[in-house]
Amino acid sequence: MSKVKPAPLPPDTVIGGYRIVRKLAAGGFGVVYLAVDTEGQQVAVKEYLPSSLASRGPGELLPQVQPEKLSLYRLGLKSFFEEGRALAQISHASVVSVLNFFRENETVYMVMNFLEGASLQEFIITAREQKKQKVFRESTIRSLYDEVLRGLRIVHQHKMLHLDIKPANIFVTDDNRSVLIDFGAAREVLSKEGNFIRPMYTPGFAAPEMYRRDSSMGPWTDIYAIGACIYASMQGYPPNDAPQRLEKDRLSLALSRLRGVYSDNLIEVVEWCMSLDPLSRPQSVFALQKELSRETERSYTKLTVAEKMRLQFDNIVSDNKKVMRKSTNAGTKFR
Amino acid sequence: MKFSVYQISRQGGRERNEDRMGYAYTRESGLFVLADGMGGHPEGAMAAQLALQTFSAYFQKAANPTVREVPEFLSSALMAAHHQIIRYAAEKGMLDTPRTTLVASVMERGHVYWVHCGDSRLYVVRNGEMLTRTRDHSYMEQQAHLGRATEHINRNILFTCLGSPAKPVFDLSGPVQLMRGDRVLLCSDGLWGTVADEEITAELSKRPLEQAVPELVELALKRGGPRCDNVTVLAMEWETADEFQSTRVSTEDIEDGVFASTIQSGTPDSTMEDLDDAAIEKSIAEINEAIRRTAERNT
Repeated sequence: MSKVKPAPLPPDTVIGGYRIVRKLAAGGFGVVYLAVDTEGQQVAVKEYLPSSLASRGPGELLPQVQPEKLSLYRLGLKSFFEEGRALAQISHASVVSVLNFFRENETVYMVMNFLEGASLQEFIITAREQKKQKVFRESTIRSLYDEVLRGLRIVHQHKMLHLDIKPANIFVTDDNRSVLIDFGAAREVLSKEGNFIRPMYTPGFAAPEMYRRDSSMGPWTDIYAIGACIYASMQGYPPNDAPQRLEKDRLSLALSRLRGVYSDNLIEVVEWCMSLDPLSRPQSVFALQKELSRETERSYTKLTVAEKMRLQFDNIVSDNKKVMRKSTNAGTKFR
Repeated sequence: MKFSVYQISRQGGRERNEDRMGYAYTRESGLFVLADGMGGHPEGAMAAQLALQTFSAYFQKAANPTVREVPEFLSSALMAAHHQIIRYAAEKGMLDTPRTTLVASVMERGHVYWVHCGDSRLYVVRNGEMLTRTRDHSYMEQQAHLGRATEHINRNILFTCLGSPAKPVFDLSGPVQLMRGDRVLLCSDGLWGTVADEEITAELSKRPLEQAVPELVELALKRGGPRCDNVTVLAMEWETADEFQSTRVSTEDIEDGVFASTIQSGTPDSTMEDLDDAAIEKSIAEINEAIRRTAERNT
């Protein structure tokens, strides 16, 4: 296992007709660069270069893969292709689009639209640090998720599931569009250790069936994650993860803290999306869109004195949990 | 090669839909598959999905751009699907194996071939008449074949399927030379359980596919009532006239060595085949082809 991350390609390297400007991000799966095409158009280029399986010295072009890791390397390549295949079929303003796919330097590259802006995760962190009662305004939440759901609906129409929806994978552009990114997780990925394949999920946003990885996954699995994202957009923190919830479900309790701050309807939508039983959730994005766009008069139910007391008591006992939740953040896993 | 295709799967009154269907094609060959995951055993939908993915993966490998040895392809893909299911069950340490029926058909060089195991059916309709259909691997159909009374027999009892510890029994059929306007329909028992052969034939003959197929499925759902089984139908018409734009597939639109599929790959067992250089090049070509098609659709 190489502890050293493979070096990114240096600026001004030309690959497949694209000139690299700088590295945007690096994760377990590879490196994302900002690049320009021959017409000067900015693009994002994702290079397949799993850090646990391949190494590359500074200034070099070709990655080195140890012979015993070659088959895993190729296996990972398959997931990379899956991402390309999935995105290639979709063209929608709310889904990141892939423009080209090519092979060079003994690895493969995926060219995507370059998006300027920040992930929803960054917005949530900034917003919650202001320590206001609300992280986002309800109208902001409703319109943001309306857009995200339009994109997700197209994804589902193509018989695909995203399977890793979380604030870090919802990108808010400078021109105010929200775009679903990172479909690489849609399948399977290599674990950090690089020696076995395991399904990937982000605690807090992954539905219980993601842990079982069985045939009960469906649109409702992504819908659970959407519910968790809305929760994080209201609360500033991700919800408890599914195994924790299966043991002791504190979701309703946590949501009741938001009563009076957000409308009853929005709170109910989150609870509905995050039902532990897949069948109790909205079964399609359409069903959820309908509910979310219902702009009837919002009613707010204030907490009773008894409820407030119970909440306070809960604050004391759940202190330990909070520390843990902070450390997982809004799903900081970036690949 | 030109064909229209139309597919629908409906859950009916069941808790989930364990039917799976899909098609894939290269420039000169088309594959159509339908599987009905069986109740009474675990993860029927997974068995059906594995069967489809195995067929799709095999087809992608074999169709270059034609399959050539079609019967051999169909039987080896079927056995591979069976083994994938067994392997899946073994890896998960399951006490009972997931099971599925299967019907698959390949069309190339103007001929259609098919294989089936269990009670999912294939019908060939020509000039308003049923040219042929598969015979189910069920006790009911077996007894009927022997000329015995069948009223008291449960039609749901099959003597073979994919995924059971016993080796699957299957029937290969074809080649049947296709004529312009021929219709081939694959369906799960959710359709034929309540809609008679004559009705299927009549409906398929009098309307375009995109009307006939939903009509048949609606009829089955209506008759099946609140406990209706999953109803899945995948039908195609050979070399259609140009007016059916919406559903028509012309394989001439795709380049050599490229493969298009509605079947989601990414088998749980991705180690099934290793990527060699040719496979990598092929994947890249396919992705770029898909990008091009998507871009075209939007202009």
